[in-house]
Amino acid sequence: MGRETMTMDRRTVLGLGTTVVAATLLAPGVHLIAAPTRTEAKEGRRWAMLVDVNKCSTDCTACTRACRVENNVPIFGDPNRDIHWIRKVEIRDKSHHRPTVTLPVLCNHCENPPCVHVCPTAASFVRKDGIVLVDKHRCIGCRYCMIACPYKARSLVYHETSFPKDGNPDVPIRAMGVVEKCTFCVHLVDAGKQPACVAACQNSGEASMIFGDLNDPNSEIAKRVREVKTQTIRPDLGLKPQVYYQGL
Amino acid sequence: MISEYSAIEGRSPRFYKLLGGLVFLVLIGAGCFLAIEIFGHGITGMNNQVVWGVPHVVAISLLVMASGALNLGSMSTVFATVQFKQFTRFSAFLSIALLAGGLAVLLLDLGRPDRMLLAMLHYNFRSMFSWNVLLYTGFFMLCSLYLWSMFEKPQYTKLIGSAAFGWRLILTTGTGSIFGVIQAREVFHSAITGPTFVAYSLTSGTALSILLLVTTFRLTNREFDMRVLFALRNAMIFFVFLVFYMLIVEKFTKFYSPASYDVENWLLGGSMSWLYWGGVVLIGILFPLLTLFNPATGNTEGGIMFASALIVIGEISYVAHVLLAGQTYPLTLFPGYEVSSSFLDGQMATYTPSLVEFGLGLGGVGIVGLIYVLGFLKGGNFPGILDIICFFCDSCGNFDL
Repeated sequence: MGRETMTMDRRTVLGLGTTVVAATLLAPGVHLIAAPTRTEAKEGRRWAMLVDVNKCSTDCTACTRACRVENNVPIFGDPNRDIHWIRKVEIRDKSHHRPTVTLPVLCNHCENPPCVHVCPTAASFVRKDGIVLVDKHRCIGCRYCMIACPYKARSLVYHETSFPKDGNPDVPIRAMGVVEKCTFCVHLVDAGKQPACVAACQNSGEASMIFGDLNDPNSEIAKRVREVKTQTIRPDLGLKPQVYYQGL
Repeated sequence: MISEYSAIEGRSPRFYKLLGGLVFLVLIGAGCFLAIEIFGHGITGMNNQVVWGVPHVVAISLLVMASGALNLGSMSTVFATVQFKQFTRFSAFLSIALLAGGLAVLLLDLGRPDRMLLAMLHYNFRSMFSWNVLLYTGFFMLCSLYLWSMFEKPQYTKLIGSAAFGWRLILTTGTGSIFGVIQAREVFHSAITGPTFVAYSLTSGTALSILLLVTTFRLTNREFDMRVLFALRNAMIFFVFLVFYMLIVEKFTKFYSPASYDVENWLLGGSMSWLYWGGVVLIGILFPLLTLFNPATGNTEGGIMFASALIVIGEISYVAHVLLAGQTYPLTLFPGYEVSSSFLDGQMATYTPSLVEFGLGLGGVGIVGLIYVLGFLKGGNFPGILDIICFFCDSCGNFDL
């Protein structure tokens, strides 16, 4: 083996390696594959939810059941892997000075969403009306958003899923390996309806949950947030969540 | 001092056994990747509470060591330590090998690795992950250029080597910051996580370099210069103290704040405290220091090798501790309240890693080993690829690997 040949080999390999890496660096500027078209929402709206904890009874699960049916959310039978877009959480005061309450916890559609900030592919994004969504075609399943979300609002699809027998045809199922979460039932909201959990809550007679446009001063939610003492979960994190709780 | 480099023949049965072993590891990794790809992450031990498991521990440990592997090169090129000059090629090449292995595991554990091209085309520049992708690719490029300059244009080596040194500090700070910037997780969120990762890269990179250099010298029937080994040992002792200092500062700061009492008490006395006390403190710091300061062991090749192995285990333990304990500790939804739900809110998460996760991690280690071993083969065996690194000897005839 001659010395010259070896030198050429090195040069070729190093040159090729550097070129490939440089191409990787420059790749973001080249849009060879068109990204899925984003749903455009009406600017100026700010969708939000309010939960009156005093009206939310312990044994009622109307909201969680309605969510599963509306959004074809699968149950695998493993509490560690089951997907929860919305769940009922029981809260007990450690000092026993306040009564135990239950309330629904879901994606808070934050104004400063950490899940969106950390998503490497911008698969998680905020619509103009404040709804935080996951582009299931762009999610690579890195799970960094699940690490970053303080509300545990996201789940990875760990197993193969199939469309339920009596599933809702308006909501496609999510593939194995991607992250999913509450969408505020964006398909219903865009059609001028209420999210399934809110509708179910009102139909159950509890009427604990209301949903609406915070930017509309005449909306019920805007009035309630303005006039009644409400609070959000972990306001100290500065995320400006858009799910408000009354009576917490 | 080695002044000439040449390749090994790589024709002995022992060499083929080594190569076969490493290929086997890569095949195990490939098999596990395919299994996860086909059956989903449901066959791993990960769940919706602990979403990053053993593959991430292995990947991040390798990436931290990739940065640290450049220590020898930096000490020579940047800080003009002449006795390490002979290992600059080794150093830069080992960095590339570790980077390749670590990144492979990280990418192959994605829920949808088939979408990597899409991911490369759509960066979210605010994401710490995206920054790391840029930092890793840049480091890969700088290490390649560093090697190229050593071979072709030595006049640029100082410049490129210095750039690589600066880059690696930012790179490892970035790796630590993947966790450090996460405000939601009490175990992760800390400004000192990034610098601690840098300190760990210094210890583990030096330790791994010692292990590989001494082993390679032994396998090629050459004697490793004890003066060089002692110099590396002394540097390693300093780096271990640096890690110790970082850990003490972090614990002191956390324990000064009553808000951190619960999580810190759990970290030091809870279900995962064995990893901290056993892996991080005893195996990663105290045992190596005792071994290295004991004249009976600290001045011997075997003793230094033993301490180096412990330090590498300590680094992996630290990464595992941060990653797994950080996810096991429940998110605090309502401070001051006890919570429970069907989604296991308020409970310590459970995680039992499965064999496929270990297999995927082993595949990454196999990739590192394979690149490393092939890197100093004589080009004639596999024309065009393998004479990138030819080192360790004065002439080919000395090798019997």
